[in-house]
Amino acid sequence: MKKSLVALALCTALVSTSSVAEVDISGFASVVGGKVLSGEGVPEFGLEPTFLANYPIVGFYEEDWSFKPDSKYGLQISADLTEGLSATAQLVGRGADDFNAEFEWAYLSYVLNEHWTLQAGKKRLPLYYYSDFFDVSYAYLWIRPAADNYTWQIFNYNGVNAQFNYQVNDWTVSGNIYTGREDDTENKLLSEFFGSQPIREIWKNIVGGVLSLNRDWLDLRFTYMTYQNERYRNGVQVTWDGDDSRRGKFAGVSANVDYNNWVVLTEFNRLTLDGGDFDTYLLSAGYRIGQWTPFVSFADFDSESEMHSTASVGARWDFHSSAAFKVQYDDVTDDGINGQMVAGDSKAITFGIDLVF
Amino acid sequence: MNWLKFVAIPLVLSSAVATAEVAVVVHPSNAASLDQAEISRLFTGRGTTFSNGSKATPLNLAESAPARAEFDSKVLGKSSSQMKAYWSKLVFTGKGTPPKELGSDADVKAAVAADASAIGYIDAASVDASVKVVGKF
Repeated sequence: MKKSLVALALCTALVSTSSVAEVDISGFASVVGGKVLSGEGVPEFGLEPTFLANYPIVGFYEEDWSFKPDSKYGLQISADLTEGLSATAQLVGRGADDFNAEFEWAYLSYVLNEHWTLQAGKKRLPLYYYSDFFDVSYAYLWIRPAADNYTWQIFNYNGVNAQFNYQVNDWTVSGNIYTGREDDTENKLLSEFFGSQPIREIWKNIVGGVLSLNRDWLDLRFTYMTYQNERYRNGVQVTWDGDDSRRGKFAGVSANVDYNNWVVLTEFNRLTLDGGDFDTYLLSAGYRIGQWTPFVSFADFDSESEMHSTASVGARWDFHSSAAFKVQYDDVTDDGINGQMVAGDSKAITFGIDLVF
Repeated sequence: MNWLKFVAIPLVLSSAVATAEVAVVVHPSNAASLDQAEISRLFTGRGTTFSNGSKATPLNLAESAPARAEFDSKVLGKSSSQMKAYWSKLVFTGKGTPPKELGSDADVKAAVAADASAIGYIDAASVDASVKVVGKF
């Protein structure tokens, strides 16, 4: 009798454990095609007319139609382990990497209380406004956040993150504090685009925070991050003025308005590195007409040695409850890096479909 | 949210088709008072508790239910597409999980009647004594 009771209790426990670990699968995808309409290229490097749409993963268009640079898919698997604990992994494959799927996110999450959640593992670095959902194009207006802002070579980190959410009168105050490091053994942007030798890029002692203030139609965001940079070129450590590491400090502010049918998106960011300032900003405005949102956008990168900007015009069409069609024209002005062009001036057209499921 | 099952659902009908009133409902024992801003906070994941501090469990209707588009536009002030974009950002950055979705007014009523923490919404014409109405929009 006792034995069977124990057995029964065990069975019940097993059954209930397996039935409560709820697993959710969701995902996103973008299928985007485009081409350069006209461009200078960089004759010194033998670079054909090129539109560099995406710096971190080196997604670029040339004069022939291509469906790779902005196309991608992501699959998120989230397991609710009950009592506030959950595990999430996100697999992302990008056309610029021949759709090879890699785990971009893998973290454990623990809900401490109604205000705080702790996370540990691999996450995307929440530098710019769109950094941590850069791949989820369905969630924003354009085909991609402007390349002039989203230029940084490191976009993930391994570490811990504490996020919070408070209600203060009519304001929602949320954000996060994070720390960690990233060691990218062969950084694609530095190795392939800005050089021809393998570069190992290390960002360590990363400490950062994000503060968001939301109220009705207004969304304000402040971001700060500091990190220590080490770099190896062909296995040999790079030094800066005799030091084998340098500290970068990143700060940004963003103000977005969604009022009646107007959408205004802005962000201003500054990275201070090697005593120089790298300034970026993005200004976009759109107007919602039923399922259509036509928009204009301007983004700029300005430092002592490097300058480029992009003017864009386009439209988003929410033709389906889970999918949007987008078309965009980009006009890039490249004023170069230390007198050499990044990819030269270019004008390009891109269009495609973003979806979530 | 399990978005997988919505892939198959065809185009959401224009919200202009339906103009029925939406009733926001809670368990009959729930004494919390709720205005539109508080309801909006619960359904956008910005708040997780009722005014008395007890836990709130928001329940959404599936996109195929007419009252869903009504609720999104009248109470949240967004189209269903805008809400999906909003939740996409939170879901894929680990910052939030959208409310669970139920298929029909009857499912929402049954779930709300059975759970003191639940809050849902249904077509006002579907209201009966099993739930308590805290707002009509």
